[in-house]
Amino acid sequence: MEAFSIPAFVLIVMASMMILIFRDWRLTAIALAVQYLGAFVLVSLSWPLGMAVVKLIVGWMATAAVAFSWQATDARNQPSTDTSITDSTSSLIFRGAAGLLIVLLNFALTPSLQTNVFPQVDLVIIQGGVMIMGMALMQLGINSDPYLVIISLLSFLLGFEIIHAALEVSTLLTGLFVLVNLGLALVGAYFISKLGEGESQIES
Amino acid sequence: MSLSTPLIWVLLPIVVAVVCVFLSKQQALSFILAAATAFGLALLAAFFPEDLTLSIGPLNLAFEEGLMVLGRQITLVYEIFPFIAFIFGMTGLWLLTSSIPGVPTTFRPVSLVITASLTAALSVQPFLYAALLIMTAVLASIPILNTDKKESFRGIFRYLSFMTLAMPFVLIAGWLLTGVVSLPPESPLVGQTIVLLGLGFALWLAVFPFHSWVTMISEHNHPTVVSFLLFILPTTVLVFGLNFFDRYAFLRTSEEIFTVIRLIGTVMIVFGGIWTAVQDELKRAFGFSTLVENGFSLLALGLSAEGGLSWMLMLFPARALGYWLWGYTLAQFENHCGSLEMDALQGYGRKFPFLSTGLILAQLSVAGLPILASFPVKIALLSQAFSIGQGLGVWSFIGSFGLFMFSIRLLLKLTTPNDQDSIDLPRTRLTPEKRSEYVPIVLMVLVLLIIGMFPDSVLSGITDVLSAFSQLQ
Repeated sequence: MEAFSIPAFVLIVMASMMILIFRDWRLTAIALAVQYLGAFVLVSLSWPLGMAVVKLIVGWMATAAVAFSWQATDARNQPSTDTSITDSTSSLIFRGAAGLLIVLLNFALTPSLQTNVFPQVDLVIIQGGVMIMGMALMQLGINSDPYLVIISLLSFLLGFEIIHAALEVSTLLTGLFVLVNLGLALVGAYFISKLGEGESQIES
Repeated sequence: MSLSTPLIWVLLPIVVAVVCVFLSKQQALSFILAAATAFGLALLAAFFPEDLTLSIGPLNLAFEEGLMVLGRQITLVYEIFPFIAFIFGMTGLWLLTSSIPGVPTTFRPVSLVITASLTAALSVQPFLYAALLIMTAVLASIPILNTDKKESFRGIFRYLSFMTLAMPFVLIAGWLLTGVVSLPPESPLVGQTIVLLGLGFALWLAVFPFHSWVTMISEHNHPTVVSFLLFILPTTVLVFGLNFFDRYAFLRTSEEIFTVIRLIGTVMIVFGGIWTAVQDELKRAFGFSTLVENGFSLLALGLSAEGGLSWMLMLFPARALGYWLWGYTLAQFENHCGSLEMDALQGYGRKFPFLSTGLILAQLSVAGLPILASFPVKIALLSQAFSIGQGLGVWSFIGSFGLFMFSIRLLLKLTTPNDQDSIDLPRTRLTPEKRSEYVPIVLMVLVLLIIGMFPDSVLSGITDVLSAFSQLQ
């Protein structure tokens, strides 16, 4: 798996940038699924494949739960119109610049983080985790849309899980993370459906 | 499979919660089942024999403290039982008010799941995994929050975000702590670890500036739900936090850490107190006053060398009962009046004398008025704060005075007659309050008075929890 670690990191950077920059729910959901794939590769560097694959499956389940509930809400409210969240060019550029800043900060800070705090953890694992966490925090800070907030929270947890997996192997911990990830996804789906109900009532 | 304590206090309430979900159409049955479970588990924890053997007639049931789950141990030790009895008892008390109109139907099962998750958090080994169980309790609490209005989403998302961010901070700090114990205190990693841990707890306890979700949640949700959440989460987080001081000597012996905790506590008291005093909306005022209470807990923790831990624990029951009465009276007021804006309540003291008295006394009890429940502990805390540093004492006093100010403003508003009263009063009956509404208020006020007059005999039982933390006694 070590041979795939650099491609996995590149995949993570691209996916997290896509989540930060674009507002099309389909693109965001695909990017989140790709992010989980990259994270799976990085986690498998420190965990047995059987345990690492749990993160991938749970991540994809969470992505599916959030994305499909958004699709259902979207279809209910806007059956024939464009389904992407409204956006402007200037905000795309702003978010792109913010994402680049995080990439630069990541490369600048992670080597010292490895030396001082996590000397036994591969640099690529730290970089992957910090990248996802940074992008997720930026996303959380700049929007309040339920779909994107839940995706940001799932991403933030994923970034943390990548780093934490290199520090500790525990079946119970994996189980608890599964509970929290699926719980967050369910909460997200619940909010999205509630939002849809509210909007439907307003329209009718 | 042998019987174990986690099966009783963690698994059983979750099973009952699932049954309550299926019984949601049969309100009376789910009410009785949920409340009986909570009170039953509280009583069982309070009177459980120390040798963990229950004798029912000829039947002897021997319990074990631990339960293996996925290779790790969940251990509910006998010493923590007073706290378990307390949180289940209080959950039962809140469940008694779950049939008030407006309380979500999910409140019964969800409150049981929250209490069970938090009990598991106090018993899981390694103790750090508790962070994930606290997060589970937070996630479980979402269905009882108001998601009908879009305005309430912001507060809930902020609550969810802060709680999610707190978990990694605590987990990473906990992992780092195991390594830094061997480092010299002047190592930068020690300070960084403490900052990470502090950030995690600051997010959990809504320490300024991470407090905004408290008032947002409090403003848009049912008072019964809010008072329950704002009681049970910080209380359990604080008890969980004692683990860190118990395990790591360098945290326990560091004077700087306790000074910082005292300062943060005082800032919260001052900030929360001043904001409470100027509020015009009663539910927001409740939110801000919970920040003051968290501040008092931190102040007590900061004074642990002077016996502050006992005060922190003794504050919990007095505060919980005050919150319950406050939440209950606010809920009843909301049902009668619709709005909880102070101006809208002008003259309501005449119309609803029991509710008004209950509300004012609940606030004054939490604020620490003499002869009410919180007074003995708060006066001891404030005196100790004065003896440590006059600034600390003066600012804490100013902050705690905020809630008194708010109560006086509210009292004046409630007792000032409005023009409508002079027309309505002769034609209407004396009070539209029903007996079922004011009897709980009268009983709770009596309990608050009894605690205020005999604090040692009522509150000291919970300090036995300290025996679960061998280094902190």
